[in-house]
Amino acid sequence: MKLFKKKQEFYLSDRQPLTLMGKLMLTLSYLILIGWSIVIVWPLSQMVISAFNGNQGRYLILNRVTDGSYEFSMKHFRFLFEETLYLTWVKNTLFIALATAAITILIVSFTGYAYSRFRFKGRKPSLMAIMLIQTIPAFAGITAYFTMHSVISSVAPFFSRQMMLILIYAGGGIASNTFILKGYMDSISTELDDAAKIDGCSNMKVYRLIIMPIVRPMLSIIALWSFIGPFMDYMLPRVLLTNPNDYTLAQGLFTLMNNRETLNQPAFAAGGLLTALPIVILFAVLQKQLISGLAQGSVKG
Amino acid sequence: MAKYSKVLYDYIGREYERKNLYLKEVALLQEEIKTAPKSDKNALKNQLREFISKKDKNPYLLKLKEYEHKEKRFLEELQSKTKTYMETMDKTLSSAVLGLEKTLFQSKQKVDFYEAFTGLTYDAEYAYRESSINVKLLPTIIYNIKRLEEELRKAEKFHSEENKETIRGEIDKFKKEQKAVYDHRLQELKKKRRDGLISEKALKNGQKELKKNYQYAVNVKEYEHPDKMKRELVKSKKFELKDYIKVNRRIVAADIADARRTTPVETMKTLPVNTVLGALVPGLGQLLNKQPVKAALFFIGLLFIYAAAIPYALGYGNYQGNGIAGLITLAEGARRIDRSLIFMIEGIVAIVLLLFAAGIFIANFKDIRSVEKSYIKGSREKNWFETTRTIEEEGFPYLVSIPALIVISFIVLVPIFTAILLSFTGMDPRNQSKFPWVGIQNYRLIALGQGLAGSVFWRILGWTLIWTLTATTLAIFIGFGLALLANNPRIKGKAFFRMVYLLPWAVPAFITIMFFSIMFSNTGALTEIVTNVFGVSIDFKNNTFWSRFILVMMQGWLGSSYVFLLSTGVLQAIPEDLYEAADIDGANSWQKIRKITLPMVLFQTAPLLVNQYTFNFNNFSIIYLFNGGGPFNPSVYGNLAGSSDILISYIYKLTMDNQYQSIGAAISIVISIGLMIFAFIGYKNSKAFKEERL
Amino acid sequence: MKVSLKNIGKKYEGREEFTLRHIDLDIEDKDFCVILGPSGCGKTTLLRMIAGLNSITEGDLLFNDKRMNKVPSKDRDIAMVFQSYALYPHMTVYDNMAFSLTMRKERKSVIDKAVREAAELLQITNYLHSKPSDISGGQRQRVALGRAMVRRPRVFLMDEPLSNLDAKLREHMRVELVRLHKALETTSIYVTHDQTEAMTMATKIVLMNEGKIQQAGKPDEFYNQPANLFVARFIGSPTMNIFEGMIKDGQFISKDGHIKASPSDKDEASVKAFEGKEVSLGIRSERFLTGDAQEKIEVTVDVVEMLGKEKILYTKLPSGDEIVISVPGHLDFTEDEKYTFGIDHGALHFFDTTTGERINK
Repeated sequence: MKLFKKKQEFYLSDRQPLTLMGKLMLTLSYLILIGWSIVIVWPLSQMVISAFNGNQGRYLILNRVTDGSYEFSMKHFRFLFEETLYLTWVKNTLFIALATAAITILIVSFTGYAYSRFRFKGRKPSLMAIMLIQTIPAFAGITAYFTMHSVISSVAPFFSRQMMLILIYAGGGIASNTFILKGYMDSISTELDDAAKIDGCSNMKVYRLIIMPIVRPMLSIIALWSFIGPFMDYMLPRVLLTNPNDYTLAQGLFTLMNNRETLNQPAFAAGGLLTALPIVILFAVLQKQLISGLAQGSVKG
Repeated sequence: MAKYSKVLYDYIGREYERKNLYLKEVALLQEEIKTAPKSDKNALKNQLREFISKKDKNPYLLKLKEYEHKEKRFLEELQSKTKTYMETMDKTLSSAVLGLEKTLFQSKQKVDFYEAFTGLTYDAEYAYRESSINVKLLPTIIYNIKRLEEELRKAEKFHSEENKETIRGEIDKFKKEQKAVYDHRLQELKKKRRDGLISEKALKNGQKELKKNYQYAVNVKEYEHPDKMKRELVKSKKFELKDYIKVNRRIVAADIADARRTTPVETMKTLPVNTVLGALVPGLGQLLNKQPVKAALFFIGLLFIYAAAIPYALGYGNYQGNGIAGLITLAEGARRIDRSLIFMIEGIVAIVLLLFAAGIFIANFKDIRSVEKSYIKGSREKNWFETTRTIEEEGFPYLVSIPALIVISFIVLVPIFTAILLSFTGMDPRNQSKFPWVGIQNYRLIALGQGLAGSVFWRILGWTLIWTLTATTLAIFIGFGLALLANNPRIKGKAFFRMVYLLPWAVPAFITIMFFSIMFSNTGALTEIVTNVFGVSIDFKNNTFWSRFILVMMQGWLGSSYVFLLSTGVLQAIPEDLYEAADIDGANSWQKIRKITLPMVLFQTAPLLVNQYTFNFNNFSIIYLFNGGGPFNPSVYGNLAGSSDILISYIYKLTMDNQYQSIGAAISIVISIGLMIFAFIGYKNSKAFKEERL
Repeated sequence: MKVSLKNIGKKYEGREEFTLRHIDLDIEDKDFCVILGPSGCGKTTLLRMIAGLNSITEGDLLFNDKRMNKVPSKDRDIAMVFQSYALYPHMTVYDNMAFSLTMRKERKSVIDKAVREAAELLQITNYLHSKPSDISGGQRQRVALGRAMVRRPRVFLMDEPLSNLDAKLREHMRVELVRLHKALETTSIYVTHDQTEAMTMATKIVLMNEGKIQQAGKPDEFYNQPANLFVARFIGSPTMNIFEGMIKDGQFISKDGHIKASPSDKDEASVKAFEGKEVSLGIRSERFLTGDAQEKIEVTVDVVEMLGKEKILYTKLPSGDEIVISVPGHLDFTEDEKYTFGIDHGALHFFDTTTGERINK
């Protein structure tokens, strides 16, 4: 009986039955979609497989699983952990990413609130101006960053290269993140602020107890983006971080495939896999929030 | 002869009659002179002159002087009287009450004194009003504070008669009862779910509510325990007392502020002297304007300007540089270790500091001037309470933006200016430590396509533009196309496709780029496959065409994911009604896509798509990481650039690998201006700016 | 608590004109005062000034003779219900209602008691731990009321609280609000643009237009003794019929001459004083006589609206001017037919056409 019930449900579908042309188009769509999936998955799977292929020296080879030249092994991972500074790179990158996210959230939550709730002179022009200035690629300032750092660190030695990097990442994101947060906050009715003021809140309390809990989703998104940014960047660390102990993941992994001396492509594959995995999971779990954050940033304003 | 107005004006323009009879007379005469026919003018002017010459004998002014003497004596006496009075006070009273009693006593005395003189001068009237407010409001406040303090004391001394054990027992019993109720209700709810009467969401919500109900009920009961009850009571009373004092202090201050706003001030002064004197010395003007606390704040600004900004600009306290002068000399002829670059940067920092200083000067000037001008017109200056209130209400956004402003000035502005200035210098491999100004030479080379900077510039720009357009458009085409296909309601397994298509974006780009680089190398897997399948052995990374082709394909692969996710989100937000209406109007699928889907998605995502183009224009990672910008082709691209280099990677090579920083800076500036124009147009037309809500 | 406004004025910075000026108003203790007026007349601004959300430029605001101009909102002992309810979306109903007391660090037992009492009164005890997004509009409105009640304020301020509800619920809540007001005995100030709400709920109505008070007083005063043309047109549904004309020989004659109306004995003296001047006559739609009368008008019926208990006739004079007449529902009238109606002398409102002010007091 269950089988028949299912069939009935199928035919009771709201849509009109497909014509031949319709069926052809549908098949074509499926082919394209599945085909592209293969295009995506194959290279990535290669990386995964290679990471475990013990039959490789310092170069990657084509993984022919069928003819026995494949040998499952964890040796590349061991190499990665023992012979390279992989774990240090992870630590560095995490530190930079977390610090960037924290500083960004701290500053932007206040500026977003100020720009959303208060009308003050210079509001519009300042926002416009900073947004335009931020289209200038960070690279234009590279020479300056380098020199500024050497000047400051000779006066205050604890100011490390990493701190400079964090400041650059955070500072660079202030304007656009303020803009996004402000847009989100604008959609919160000011009557809430009024009600809170009548109930006994000062400006700060209104922000802390009422507004911030409501904009938490947006703040999380901003924190997430600020966290991921440093992970993906190669250029700035390459310029600023000269001590191999300071390298981030992007820099470190590059040395595994670029520098003749430190070349070890399979280890690179292993490192790449380990790095990519948590981020992919993070993205997969949070994809809805990330997209909505982007969309709101553009739609709302 | 200075001009006096006939009446005094307050801050919203209401008029008050003058009490200073001398000035009133002068003002009246002056007005008469203005409106009189020519024949009378001279006579009147003489009259006025005579009147002024008799200033010392003017009855009103004499009375005023007498009053001022009396006031001085009164205030001195008041000091000693207050002291004696306070000694009679009960020492056990709190400081708050004592302070208020003192004020009350003084105010009572002042009321008696100033009452007689309210008609004579506005200052007396103000003092009278201020004291009257205190006399009227303070007694009740003092009484209430005493009462609340008493209640607090009682609460602190409170000792419960009840047996704590029994109460504890009662509370625990209540807890058990409530838990039983909670469990029972929870079971009912779960049963309803099993029977399919309520949805999963309703179950979850219901669970949350029951839990909260239980927690709150128990929490309230807990406070019946004498210890907790007492602590809570004390805390509550403490807050009530503190709050009462704070609120009522404010109320009194606010009423006094009101009196200030509605009691004008008369002064002989007609010229804004303070403004002139205080313009260059922040803090002085405020002192002269009788606003000492504000003056203290501006003194900090004074310190910053004269002890930090200006000395630094002149060269003191520089690390190596010489302040502003350093910008001109660029360390020419200085010590061996002195570097031009440091001189330049310090010069820029000096300029930024000077800008901040200028800001302080302007704020200072505006403040003194507005206060003094209103003062001359008749508006009393604000006291510290009023100023703090203004800061609280209107100053909040400025206060919170200051840290952001400082960060941005140093992290964003200084480097950019450095780059701009660098582009006008000649910092190259031979002039690293010290380099000269060369004016617009670098730009000229670029424009004319000559020299190291210019000869390859246009060719690289050409490839950069082609790269940007093809790669981005390819990614958008693929991503959007996939989104359209996958959004078809008849397609099953959407979640699977979405997962897979997410991967190119989720996996950090540098990993995939580097991996592809490996795979296309001569020993790489893909090269091998191509050899096996097509029979040709291609050296991808040493072939200009193939390198470029692969780069574009890769970016299409990488970027399509992002566009896909974005488009899917927007596609789902398009209301069904539009398509249904189109169906009724007879549109076929292709038309629907072209007229409804495409415009809607593009409009919504336009700013983000624009960002994609600018992103690829500056996409350093993919070019550099894949093949270092190669392959090398000296005949066409010179010794530095490779044939797949785009402008940004070329700048990198110039600056980092070959030390042609000034040329690199010049090219950076050219690109930046182009991008800014592009972005400006883009933003102007985007939804955000069109809606005035910015 | 008594609320007095003395010469209140509001001027926004950067604007030339005063938005409100010379507002004098006395609201007695336990009054239900409705501030009525069309959009943009300044009623919400006035309410917000009483609440402390907008600053007062000039004049005095007194609560029981205590000056409140500069006292911050939270210290005025008021509570406000907003048009959009302004419930804190991330807090439960309980926490929303308890918020103001929590801010004052009140004791938990006291808070709990107050919240539960209010919830009982408003019948929302079952939703105490739900979030605002989980309950319906009507329930949210009651939560907003509850939040205001818990504070035990001395003045309730309400800004068009019923405008977001559907018609039936609005009717129901009107009665509920009046009941609540009687039970709590707190002075209430209520802003709306709906004259039905004003007429049914208020003990005192203040009608505003363009920043000025047009009339203040009891509801029946508005209906029976409108102080000027604006009030006359605003209050009453269907709108009062207004005819322009002149006083000739102590009698009102309309411009087209079709309407002649003599004042009653009471009004004779005041009307006579306007001899020869331009005067407007107002007659409510239900005050036309179907039986015999001294002075009559003849009209052609254009459209008949059937309301059940009454019929509304949209009629035309020979000159083309329209008169709206309401008659009891059991009478029959046919469209395009001519009928004669009498004029009730005791129901005439005379206004000076130039100033708009009422003539016959």
